Order: sequence, then structure tokens, then C-alpha cells
Amino acid sequence: MQKTYAFFPGCVLHAAAKEAETSAVAVAKRLGINLKEIPGWTCCGASHVQDIDPETALLANARNLALAERMGLTLVTACSTCALMLRQAKATLLDGRLDWANERLAEAGLKLEGTVEVRHLLWELADGCDEWAAKVSHPQAHLRVAPFYGCHTVRPPQVMDYESHLNPQSLEKVIRACGATPVTIPERLKCCGFHAVFPAETSAHRLTASAVNSAAEAGADCLLTPCPLCHMQLDMYQPDALSTACGDTPVPVLHLTQLLAMALGLDAKAIGLGRHIVDTKPLLASSGSA
Amino acid sequence: MQNFIFLIDRFDGTNSWRQRYEFPHKPGMTVLTCLIHIKENLDPTLNFTASCRSAICGACAVRVNGNALLACDTMVDDLREQWGDGPLTVSPLGNAEVISDLVVKWDEKVNRLRLANPGLHAKKEFSAHEGCRQAPQDMQAIQKQWDCILCGSCMSECNKLSDSSKDFLEPFTYTHAARYAEDSRSRNPLEHMENMEKSGMWKCLHCMECVTKCPKGISPAGAIASLRELAFKAGHTDGPGPRHADAFRTDLENTGRLNEVKLVPRTEGMVSAATKRLPFTLRMFARGKLGPVEAARLFVADNHRVEDHDGLKRILKANRK
Ligand code: SF4
Ligand code: SF4
Ligand code: FES
Repeated sequence: MQKTYAFFPGCVLHAAAKEAETSAVAVAKRLGINLKEIPGWTCCGASHVQDIDPETALLANARNLALAERMGLTLVTACSTCALMLRQAKATLLDGRLDWANERLAEAGLKLEGTVEVRHLLWELADGCDEWAAKVSHPQAHLRVAPFYGCHTVRPPQVMDYESHLNPQSLEKVIRACGATPVTIPERLKCCGFHAVFPAETSAHRLTASAVNSAAEAGADCLLTPCPLCHMQLDMYQPDALSTACGDTPVPVLHLTQLLAMALGLDAKAIGLGRHIVDTKPLLASSGSA
Repeated sequence: MQNFIFLIDRFDGTNSWRQRYEFPHKPGMTVLTCLIHIKENLDPTLNFTASCRSAICGACAVRVNGNALLACDTMVDDLREQWGDGPLTVSPLGNAEVISDLVVKWDEKVNRLRLANPGLHAKKEFSAHEGCRQAPQDMQAIQKQWDCILCGSCMSECNKLSDSSKDFLEPFTYTHAARYAEDSRSRNPLEHMENMEKSGMWKCLHCMECVTKCPKGISPAGAIASLRELAFKAGHTDGPGPRHADAFRTDLENTGRLNEVKLVPRTEGMVSAATKRLPFTLRMFARGKLGPVEAARLFVADNHRVEDHDGLKRILKANRK
């Protein structure tokens, strides 16, 4: 694929979801993609700062966009909420707030033209599927994988316009290219609850449990998500969710790039498969789960 | 062109079933003209509501293949581009009690809408004689929200409402509260916000179904965000919602990035962090999601500041001048 991107990891890839960063970097390396981390990137506001102080959030993202633009590269992020916040900010800035932002960015010697593209890593991988599929050395034919898109991967479609929000297929495409079988669950495009896990804890847990229970019922070996926040909710909170909603079959949850890494034959340790709350060992071909 | 096939979810007050209707394709038919065709030619017992046929009255919203839309404003040929030429499933709006076939009950929802204190209570300086003047840009700020036709599409797939309507309102209710609260002529914006605050305003999941489904391009989620901003600026900063948001802002300003270790105590307080969340924290340690040494460092100190954090501070400071 020989491409270089301005990489925006987002806060959780440097924290609880470190394995999502290690696996993204490992996969990129194997596919000849250069992920150059944007020096000095900050939190995108995660939709929370936007709620109480929209101008602070907008300026932080104007700065993030300007830093990427200065690198002359397409910005790529592995987090759906980061992708939405950055794309939303770009649209707002281009819709009449650019001069306002630039007056303030000048304080840090920055200027934003608004030309920088913001892409989700999922979109790059889905677009490049035909190219990298040839490198799949360990097809995951033993795995039945339930895709879980995450709200901000596809909604609102005015901002997240890569594919149909009613029937997206990018994850299915990646799953098939990895040799695995996609399994559809009713919660495929539903919310995991993460953004309100504190103020609406019970609701969040029930939504999580519902996805997990459906995946178990459908005979899926794991859930797969392109969003590290969905991953945190579905994996880290899964024990609480299952006890809230009386589920009894835990289902492991993979990051998008972890499945790809497995298909490319990368070492399970190197991609952090041990750093999950729900055990991922049953997913390894050698474990005899096939 | 292949025949249209509609699979309609029926309900007669006692029994529910899915009924199949097949009729010849004609270009230019909307979902509503199809429903009318069925009622007039195939099955007079089918019930649905509609009036204006011009996307104005809001009466005709239904779900097609699980997604809310205005029947009078949706071409079936466009739906076929999305879903193919096979059968289309038509069902009543979600998150609503069904009375008959595609007809849902609105009484309770309208009662809940009253919590927004709808109606403008004008500032003292305005009078019946002089009227209420408003600058064009102030009107623009609320104009979109006045396009609401109360069709209910935004509630149909709302993830929070689907889980429970006991602690959350139909998304359009927040839109209505916000359009009065944000009106420059409003005497007391808080009177529209305060009931929303008690009725789920901080429980919205940010799932973005409402803005996706609104046929008028309104964002109820955006209305919720602006009500949250209003509440926060008015000093309503206690509770897990505002505290959580404030923790993000504090981290963004102090170092540039989120401090996940301080997030829980900042949101819920030290006691909860140390007791209720203990099993969670121990699990995180046990599975290596969080290293105890790093956690301790993040707790007593903080993240390292991002490169050119001073630049970020200057940008934000310039905005506060
Ligand atoms: S964003 Fe909030 S109000 Fe809108 S549909 Fe989702 S949970 Fe409901
Ligand atoms: S906000 Fe939009 S979707 Fe909701 S009731 Fe009003 S017009 Fe319909
Ligand atoms: S019939 Fe009035 S909005 Fe469709």
C-alpha cells in the first residue's frame, strides 16, 4: 500500500486501549503503511467538552487539524469518536469559523486552510482490501465474527459519509478478507452505551449485554469493532453488563486491527491479545476451538 | 421493473401479524402513495395516519426496514436503491405504543412535551404594543429547531429511549426546550432547561440516531448539547454528567490529554472510586489494562504535557479575552 498518514491515535490508544495502538502500528508496518504520529495532538473533546464548552473543543480540534495539515498528509485515526469530532470540527470551521479560529491559532504560529482530509483507519483498510488480502498468511477460517460498527463510525451520515449508514459493509469486507465469517446480530449498528456509562450506567450496561448476548446466541466466537471506545465498553464493562442483564456467556471482543494482525500471522503477544478483560485465548486457531 | 412487495406489520388491538401486499411498480410512487394504493385497492382494513402529503404535518412517519422516515417524502425507487428490489418491511414508529397497524399513540408523548414549558415568555422590555424584536442572527440560531413537525422519527430508533423511557424523553422534547431556552427574546431560559435536566438531559448516549433520522435536518442531540452548556454555565455543575464533561475539559487544558485514572474520582467522587469501582479497577490491574505504577503516577501527578502545550494554552487564552 506504501502510504504515509498523519496518525491521530486519540487518548484511549495511549491508555486503556494501548493494544489497539500496538496492533494498528504492527499491521501498518506489515502492510507498508507509515503511521506518523502527529506531534502534540490533543484530546478531541470526545463529545463531552463539546457539550459544556464548544469553543474550547473547536479550537483544540482546529489545532489538531492544523498540525496534521502542516505535515501535508491525510489524517487517519483509529477511533470513531475522534473521527467524528475532527470531521465535525472541520465542517464547522469551513462553514464560517475559519477566520475566527485562525486568529487564535496564530498565537501558536499555526494556520489552517481546511484542506486536510480526515479518515477512519477502517475506511483505509476497507479500500485497500484487495491489495492486502494477498498478504493474509493465516486465514481465520475458524472464526465466526460479529461486526459491531459503533454509532460514530456511521452516524450522523452528513459527517460520516464513507458508506451507507443503513447498511454499511466495510467491516464485513475486512472480516471476509481475513478469511473469517461475518455473523449478523441485531445490534450491529446500535449503541454500546459508552458515552453515558456514568450518568446512565444501567442503560449502558443493558445495551452492552444485549450485543454480547446476541453474539453468543448467534454462535459468534467474538465481536469486532473499529472503535476503541466501543471496545472499552464491550470488553472492560462486560462483566458488569452481564451481571446487570443476566447474561452468562462472555464473548471476547477484538479491535479491528487485531483480527487483521492475526490473519497476517503477527504474534498474539505483540498485538496485546492478553490485555483484554474477556479472555481471547479461545480465538487462537491453535487453541482447538475450530 | 419488478412488482412492489410490502410486508406490513399489522395489529388489530389483540393480534399482531406481518402481511404481504404485492402490486405493480409505477415510477414516482412514495411510501404513502403505496399505502393509499393498498388501502384503496387491496385491503381497506389497513390503518395508517397521514394528512398533508407535503412533509409538513408530521403525521405519516413509519419505519421501513427498521428505520424511521416520512412516508409522503420518501420515494420507493430511492428505497430500492438502498435495499434492492426485494420486499420492504413497513412497521409503526419505534419507541411508541401501537394503537392499530401503523398508528401509534401520541397522548403521553404530548404530555411529556409540556415538561419543556413550550411557549415564549418574553423579556420585560418587550410589550404587546411594541412587539418582540430579534436580530436576524439571533433568529438564525433557533430557526432550524422551529422546523420540527413533531413526526416522531427522532424517537423511533433513539438508543436511550429504546432502553428505557422512564428516565429519558422523546428527543424532540429537548429540541423544543432548546428553541425557547436559546431564544434571545426569552425572559428566563432556565425555565425551559430545568425540567430537561431532571428528565434525562445528561443521559443521552450521543448515538446520533435522532439527527440521522430527522427529515428536517434538526439535531435533537445538538439541542441536548446546548441545554447542557446552558446548565453548566448557569452553575449546574454537580452530578456525574457535568462532572464527567468537566474532567475531560480539565485534562484537555492541563496537559492536552485525558487522564483516565482521575476520570472516575472526578466524575463520581473518591468514595465511589475507592468502593463501587474497586472490582473494576482490580480487574484492570489483573489483566494488565492498567499498570499499578503508572496508575499511581497518573493519580498523584498527571500525563506529560503534549508538545507545544504552551501554544494550546495561548490559543485558548486568546479566546477568553
Ligand atoms: S443522540 Fe441521544 S437523543 Fe439522540 S437518539 Fe441517541 S440517545 Fe437519543
Ligand atoms: S426533531 Fe425532526 S424527527 Fe424529531 S419530531 Fe421534530 S421533525 Fe420529526
Ligand atoms: S402526510 Fe404530512 S408529513 Fe407526511
